[in-house]
Amino acid sequence: MRFARTQLRNDAWAEDAVSESLLAALERPQSFHGHSQLKTWLVGILKHKVVDQLRRHTREATILVGDDGEDLDEALFLADGHWRNAPHDWGDPDAACSRRQFFDVLQVCCDQLPPVQARVFMMREWLELDSDEICAELSISTSNLWVLLHRARLRLRDCLQLRWFGEASASA
Amino acid sequence: MKNTLTCREAARLLLEDEEHDIGAAERVALQVHVKICFACERFVAQLNFMRRATKAWRKHSETDGEDERPE
Repeated sequence: MRFARTQLRNDAWAEDAVSESLLAALERPQSFHGHSQLKTWLVGILKHKVVDQLRRHTREATILVGDDGEDLDEALFLADGHWRNAPHDWGDPDAACSRRQFFDVLQVCCDQLPPVQARVFMMREWLELDSDEICAELSISTSNLWVLLHRARLRLRDCLQLRWFGEASASA
Repeated sequence: MKNTLTCREAARLLLEDEEHDIGAAERVALQVHVKICFACERFVAQLNFMRRATKAWRKHSETDGEDERPE
């Protein structure tokens, strides 16, 4: 449910996607072969249903422009092209991946992205759609997609620095 | 040959490289820059980590993460 909600940014659509997935699973239990965990199988179905919902509601999602107005680069770089604040050393960040809390922070950071950036980022990283599919779904050009992903990654990096690595280095 | 990138240009190329292959000349310029710039070297490490972290997150949520149950 959380997965669907993050992706769709709309509780009603998310509930529809989850309900449709469960129905599909109940109708075709024979397609579950026990090779994968039950949950993995259900999430696989859910991904398809989420894409269906996105397709259905693309027309309603007219928010593609306008939420990314501010120039992120200006905030990060000086006029001469140097970092305003040099990126911090994150030390051995992979230790974080074994901690549940870290994923909660990542979730919060994704939730805070401007809606369109969040959507393309999740389509890319969670639904594992390729660029062409995402562009087709959202009717945007490839270069638009790159700009959106570019900004999303910069913002996520900032957010992780602030909410995870900032704290970690402060307590070290 | 122009091989002096600013950090801003380097960061843009690094992010572009996440989505699609950048040109060979750009890649060389980028490697030179990252070798001599500690800040961008850290940025590379951060991007690499974020890629691994997103993958781990996806796996976590799909397998053993405990979702709230829809009622």
